[in-house]
Amino acid sequence: MRRRDFLKVTLSSLVASQLPARVFAQTQGPTVAVAEGIDYAAITRKVIGAMGGMKIFVKPGNTVVVKPNMGWDRKPEYAANTHPVVVKTIVEEVLAAGARKVKVFDNTCNDPRRCYENSGIQAILKGMKNVDVRLVENDRFKKTAINGRFLKEWSLYNDALAADVFINVPIAKHHGLTGLTMGLKNMMGIMGDNRGYIHRSIEDALCDISSVVKSHLVIVDATRILTAHGPQGGNLKDVKVLNTVIASRDIVAIDAYTTTLFGMKPEDVSTTVTAYKRGMGEMNLNKIKVVKV
Amino acid sequence: MRITSARISQLFFLALFLFLFVITDYRGKDEITVAVNSFFRANPLVLASYVFAVKGFTLLLLPALLMTVFTLVLGRFFCGWICPLGTLIDLVTGWIPKTAPIRFLRGSFKYYLLFTLLVMAIFSVNVSGIFDPIAILIRALTFFFYPLLGHSTRAGWSGLYGLAGEGRDHVAFIYDFLRDYILPFRETFYPLAFLSLAIFLFVFVLERFEKRNWCRNLCPLGTLLGLLGRFSLFRRVPGRICKDCGECRQHCATAFDEEVLQTEGCIRCMQCRAKCRLERVGFPFKGKKGLLPATRPQEQPVMSKRILLGSVVAGFFLSKTFAFRNPERDHRLLRPPGVANEGDFLKKCVRCGECMKVCLRSALYPDLARAGITGMFMPVVIPRLGYCEYNCTLCGQVCPTGAIPRLPVEEKKKQVIGTAAIDKNICLPYAKKLNCIVCEEHCPIPDKAIRFETVNDIDYQGKKVTLKRPYIVDDLCNGCGICENKCPLEGRSAVEVFARKKT
Repeated sequence: MRRRDFLKVTLSSLVASQLPARVFAQTQGPTVAVAEGIDYAAITRKVIGAMGGMKIFVKPGNTVVVKPNMGWDRKPEYAANTHPVVVKTIVEEVLAAGARKVKVFDNTCNDPRRCYENSGIQAILKGMKNVDVRLVENDRFKKTAINGRFLKEWSLYNDALAADVFINVPIAKHHGLTGLTMGLKNMMGIMGDNRGYIHRSIEDALCDISSVVKSHLVIVDATRILTAHGPQGGNLKDVKVLNTVIASRDIVAIDAYTTTLFGMKPEDVSTTVTAYKRGMGEMNLNKIKVVKV
Repeated sequence: MRITSARISQLFFLALFLFLFVITDYRGKDEITVAVNSFFRANPLVLASYVFAVKGFTLLLLPALLMTVFTLVLGRFFCGWICPLGTLIDLVTGWIPKTAPIRFLRGSFKYYLLFTLLVMAIFSVNVSGIFDPIAILIRALTFFFYPLLGHSTRAGWSGLYGLAGEGRDHVAFIYDFLRDYILPFRETFYPLAFLSLAIFLFVFVLERFEKRNWCRNLCPLGTLLGLLGRFSLFRRVPGRICKDCGECRQHCATAFDEEVLQTEGCIRCMQCRAKCRLERVGFPFKGKKGLLPATRPQEQPVMSKRILLGSVVAGFFLSKTFAFRNPERDHRLLRPPGVANEGDFLKKCVRCGECMKVCLRSALYPDLARAGITGMFMPVVIPRLGYCEYNCTLCGQVCPTGAIPRLPVEEKKKQVIGTAAIDKNICLPYAKKLNCIVCEEHCPIPDKAIRFETVNDIDYQGKKVTLKRPYIVDDLCNGCGICENKCPLEGRSAVEVFARKKT
């Protein structure tokens, strides 16, 4: 009797601890965490918490890249760049998780000095210890074998290549060519050279890049979104305030979910569709687990 | 050896000049409070040419008016106390062995030069900036020395990695300081760098012949200041070489060619007073008598009718001789934002190169002959090299005469530099049936001056494609050139900015 009891307990606890996880993984797709609120720091913390907390991603001593979109010489309210408070909160969480160094950069479209300044990101991170907000330097681009479908080789930023953890922090915006720009498109910021070249086959090119530099965590800033005249906007009429931040490990799933905020379907964004077809993530909304926190 | 106040002042102003030169740049603020344009705004030659050419005045040049008054009172002190080019000459002249003065220059050439420039200005061709000493210096710095400094420091820093490896980090703070505060932000090389350098070096080659050769025999600013200085209330005594000594001949760089002091040449450097063994030299206040120019017959010079007449004739012909403009080049004559009228620009531009120094995206370059040879050194936008940043107003802020007007940012955005046009023969969606629209993405106009139409087509492999074909909305385009700059076609851009007639 005792032995049987013991076996029962052992077996059932084994089943209880192991099986659900496997079942969970099989039946449920990726998780997308969504938080809404006017305190952008608080909602950013909430979605990170919903993903299991930053400690899951960042181990003590890691070098972490936090890659916002700050490609344009626009003030935060114009929704062309990632909101500085969102970026700062992520950086704080990364540091709290024990990171040795956090690097924040973007290869900008407008003059880098003006972009870093007017995005508000440089100013808000100023003085934080172990945080490196540096303009992109040409010496640090490294010709990298990509062997993708469109790109065979390209200059990528070494800080991104060498990082232990890459956190992709785009803002959700309208974009003429791809419909919207979110996580996949934000990866253009680690590319050097004549990167306008990739526009002729942008879907495959972006997937190629994301295959080489994987985003361990994607946090989309949808505190305010740009609904037209993207990606740089310039007119407050095109800006919609949603007070929303979204997080996921799955770059395709988060792009697919974010698309719905614009009243569009994931299929409407060609980069999402291509990435899904290439097996880089899930785009079917009914297979994505949305956790609202 | 005693250091005179003039020497200290010279070094101070040279340091100030270099400091202002370096900070004439974007430093994280939209506004530049002080810049090296101060040296032009206090420049009577700039003032005189501007007033003659524009037939008007601008408050920007008020300091130059004050300088004129000071010169009337104190004499030609600018050259001996302030002029940074003069200071550089003084610093190196000791190492340059001298031969004999050039006779030709000793005559009235400088007056011909000055008056011809001013007469040309009256005929609306203001080229005096080409010969302005401060402009010569700034151009040589901006187009040649500063890019060279940036390039060699950066290359040296990269090279040091090869030598010292990670050990280089021990001196990284030095490089970081240079990069953040001294070096040019962007590695830009300029056309006319060689010509700017040649003109600058010419001034020093002249030192082979006599001290301050440029200053006393050519410099139009110095000549003008000398003419004003004749009315000075302070006069150097004794007015001639002392029979029992005569050492002033050696000490004085500019004013003691003859037995008698040339009032116009005296730059108030006071070397003679510092070095006089007999302590005879002084610069006493002369009171009312000083208001009358010295007219003693043996005293030079030489403001004769002949010079005046010759200059009027020369100025008139010269102003029209180089008026030819090649229409082929005219359509790419893209002036900085806010320059509405080419004729007006030619009257006001000092060719000092400051707009090009400050330009955030290195969009502005000195031109050689696009606007005829009289347009030499005036700025043009070359969009393939750099575009005009939408939210930036720096060039208008540093322009000393308002040739590029200082405009609030909202106004500046509406200024038309030109209009973009797409070349469908090479533009990808048209010519290759490939998607691109990088130009549309970068267009900074909130409502987009570059838009696209979406068409279904069959590509050259027979596949169905949806193409986004760009087109320009002329009424919205301000010609900033970011589209031309960012067009991913290698070599020629498929979208180019052309000048358009401004209304």
